[in-house]
Amino acid sequence: MKHELGMSLAALAVGLMTSVMPAKADFWSDAGAKYKGVTLHGVTESTPPSNYIKDVLAPAFEKATGIKVEIETTSWDQMYDKAIKDMEAKTGIYDMVYIEQDIIYAYLARDFLVDITKSLKDDPSLKAPDYDETHFTTFANYFKNADGDLFGIPMEAFIKLYLYRTDLFNDPAIKEAFKKETGKDLVPAKTHEEYTQIAEFFTKWGKDHSLELWGTTAQASTGHPASWYEFFESVAPTFGVYNWGIDASKNYSASVANGGTMNSDKAKAALKYWLHLRDIAPPESPASTWTEVATTFAAGRAAQGLVYGENAAWIAADAEKSKVVGNVGVALPPLEPGVMEDAEAGKGYIGYYDGGAFGLPITSKNKEASLLFLQYIGQDSVQGDWAVAAPRITNTATYDDPKVIEMDKKLNGYYTMLKNDGKLFAGAPPYPFHAQVREATAPIFYKILLGEVSPDDGLDQMAAAAEAELTNLGYRK
Amino acid sequence: MRANRPILSILLWTLLSLVTLFPIYWLFVISVKPAVELFTTPSVLLETVYWKNYVKVLGDDTLRRYMFNSIIISTGNAVLVTVLAFMACYALSRFDLPGKENIFFWTITNRMAPAAVFLLPFFLLFTQVFVIGEWKLYDTRTGMILLYCTFNLPFAIWTLRPTIDAIPKELDEAATVDGATTWQVIREVIFPLARPGLAVTLILTWVFAWNEFLLAATLTSFNARTITTGLSEYVTTTGTEWGTMASIAIITLIPALLIFSVVQRHIVAGLTFGAVKE
Amino acid sequence: MRSNRVGWLLLAPTIAILGIFGIVPFLYVLYVALHQWNPFGANPYMVYNGANNFRRLVFDNEFLTSIAFTLKFAFFAVLSEVILGYFLAQLFMREFPGRGLFRTIHTLPLIVAPIVVGSVWRLMMTPSIGIIPYLLKSWFGYDLNIGRDATMAFALTVIMDIWHWTPLVTLTLLAALVSLPKEPFEQAQIDGANRWQIFWHVTLPMIRPAILATVFIRLMDALRTVDEVWMLTGGGPGAATRYLGLHIWKIVFPKTDYGYGSATSVIVLYLTLVMCWLLYVALVARRGQKRAS
Repeated sequence: MKHELGMSLAALAVGLMTSVMPAKADFWSDAGAKYKGVTLHGVTESTPPSNYIKDVLAPAFEKATGIKVEIETTSWDQMYDKAIKDMEAKTGIYDMVYIEQDIIYAYLARDFLVDITKSLKDDPSLKAPDYDETHFTTFANYFKNADGDLFGIPMEAFIKLYLYRTDLFNDPAIKEAFKKETGKDLVPAKTHEEYTQIAEFFTKWGKDHSLELWGTTAQASTGHPASWYEFFESVAPTFGVYNWGIDASKNYSASVANGGTMNSDKAKAALKYWLHLRDIAPPESPASTWTEVATTFAAGRAAQGLVYGENAAWIAADAEKSKVVGNVGVALPPLEPGVMEDAEAGKGYIGYYDGGAFGLPITSKNKEASLLFLQYIGQDSVQGDWAVAAPRITNTATYDDPKVIEMDKKLNGYYTMLKNDGKLFAGAPPYPFHAQVREATAPIFYKILLGEVSPDDGLDQMAAAAEAELTNLGYRK
Repeated sequence: MRANRPILSILLWTLLSLVTLFPIYWLFVISVKPAVELFTTPSVLLETVYWKNYVKVLGDDTLRRYMFNSIIISTGNAVLVTVLAFMACYALSRFDLPGKENIFFWTITNRMAPAAVFLLPFFLLFTQVFVIGEWKLYDTRTGMILLYCTFNLPFAIWTLRPTIDAIPKELDEAATVDGATTWQVIREVIFPLARPGLAVTLILTWVFAWNEFLLAATLTSFNARTITTGLSEYVTTTGTEWGTMASIAIITLIPALLIFSVVQRHIVAGLTFGAVKE
Repeated sequence: MRSNRVGWLLLAPTIAILGIFGIVPFLYVLYVALHQWNPFGANPYMVYNGANNFRRLVFDNEFLTSIAFTLKFAFFAVLSEVILGYFLAQLFMREFPGRGLFRTIHTLPLIVAPIVVGSVWRLMMTPSIGIIPYLLKSWFGYDLNIGRDATMAFALTVIMDIWHWTPLVTLTLLAALVSLPKEPFEQAQIDGANRWQIFWHVTLPMIRPAILATVFIRLMDALRTVDEVWMLTGGGPGAATRYLGLHIWKIVFPKTDYGYGSATSVIVLYLTLVMCWLLYVALVARRGQKRAS
């Protein structure tokens, strides 16, 4: 889907450039004149929003400024490895790097990135008239330092949602059966108890009617960190365990004994809740990463589930990939009492807000030209078409675009939810490390999933392993 | 060779071929299914064929460039490696070089290293050591051709050495007595007899270079990127585009098969040499 | 006698290339292995810590488990490949119609990139909806779930490896068989040796170097395999298929623990080397003995 869209939109964007831009065209061609002949190099993951940059925005920018942009799209691991090697060795290959929200703190800690706010202030001649960093959604806050300066232009943002099948939830026969069995109306769950009840009901329903249908998805791979993420980013917070259960203010403690919450009673309850869901989820769940969870839901094998927002759009709207088009409802994840209050007070969050930005490595040899490009992709006028091609919103101006409003209807209000409730979600915790702790604890987590260790003991061991790794990394004194 | 029952051979090979072909058949099945059908109840036979993945892939200039790079790099490396290994093996086999067995063993150690940590020194070599002005070895086809020698050259030397050792020394000694130079001996005595080994070496080193992923992913970016690395672009956090990936993989089989069929003939050509040696 | 200068000249390019791209990076890795270095640690720079990384390795359970699983994997995979590959190479020595076609078919797995092999096998094996678990379930009622069943996941990585790499063994052994002289076989037949005797006393000694080379190559490749297993199981379930190549990859890529990763690599390299050297000596020594007797 994305490539085709990309191509047709390439034409569209070029059209846009010539029709909408004349008033501002002067700026881009004037500003670009100085850097004619320069080729900018960027590296990013090959996701739909990045491909839109590569296929549409980069060519349009070249047309406007004469600055060539080559975007290398690659897999997620490779993208990081290459960007880090380049910045670490100060080679200067890349002028733009993709920064996922969860690695920004590590990059900032290393001073890998250029302060975009400051650079534009220092040299106002580079500042584009249609770019305004205050237009970004709250997601941009993740890419700011303590002074509020921006270090990355947000280019994609999603929330991990609770998806449910409207066709099933509205089926009179099913509703009646559910009422009979539980004495309740069948509506999307607000609490974990309700969610479990619905999940159990549908798994049984599928069995009784010989359907390929289960009550929930579970991203529970026993060898891939996807399962670790589902638990720590999407399930544990809904039980009130935030930031992976690690408390940065208490010497990066993870264990309850030292002041952390990774092995707290809440965390243990959350894990047992989730393990039960895994057991009544489709049989592929122990081998499921985010890829399989999305396809499981799209294939109509689950009545409800937590699904990453980047997949929500195609599941709801792309008939070539999904069998449940038109039947997808979105809701906020089920919560324990008190968690919503925490989130509204800014003390906690109810789920995962992920996404990424484009940053400018300090080692780049074409910083000025790169700043132009970064503003180009951050300006209001390119956002609407971008959101339609690759459903993501990082700029508040996007919400009012008629094309986006149209699409919001198709997605059953996903964008509205992103706009109104986005602030209740949070990205990865603000730690200067990330995968290090994940990889140190994941092997134990897999053991829990396989039943080799009990959830309680497992979480105790994980807390200890996390602290050991943090000591080893030098963060825990 | 004794006369065998060809029917039995054919039967056996047909069975084996089914096993060999099934995953490749399945690769094809994946490439001609819309994504929505990949995660539903499967059936062994294809009911409908969906060509959109191919239309998309064949129309993609970038992939064509990747493919071209792959062909140049694999072929360049396989030829270079086979020639170098042939020379080296001849030297190891026919000359009384001090410490030559140690050198022989040392060559193979270059293939033992787990690649992941070596990426960093390679990266530094490519971006900070082999630099002439604006030019870097990084992201060049030449760089990849040279680098692939680290795992292909040991392989080639070790597969060729037995072949060359097995060629009776008397043959080249006789030729030398008749006044042939080293070059003539290599060309007229050793080369024809080593043909099956050389063909196998050429094919397999080509295969290793063609399939290599990690080094190419790290050390190329725009210009020298290979098709194997291109494939990984379809494995993303949003999900894997199985169909696109499979259709590219199927297309990449074609050049590989062509090269195989050309070179393979030389392996069999060797079958007749046993008789000639008398 | 020819002068050794020509010999050295012929060897020179090989030594030069392997020296630059083999020894120099190795020395660098060795240097890093003596340091604590994680670019995302509290101190992101290299700090010399002597043999600490190596000391840590000895007690690293994950590493030791990985070694055990890897050796098991390599043993089953390589042994099966060599036996099967030899058998197939012998079959190709016979004349039969369609031999060229079958040989081409048989080499096909080699030209499928590992990352693709892993992907296809993963799709074929997805619990409940992959074709293989689906057929096993409907034919035999057997429930194959690579997310839960460590033994099956292990077996599948071995089978996948056999499927992918047996053709390599077949080709190298075929090349060796093809270039064997005929006289010893004819002589043995005249002497009335049976098939087994011919194999054991004539064929095997002559192709031993080729077998050794093949075993080496397959062994060291199996010890550092990454892409296929990563795609099929991701190293799971648990640590059941977290083979050394993947283990190191996980230390170096996601964990960015360059120091420890380098130390692990050096040790793995060393172990591989020792293993191959023992094999080499054992096989070469035996050959020497035979000649003497």
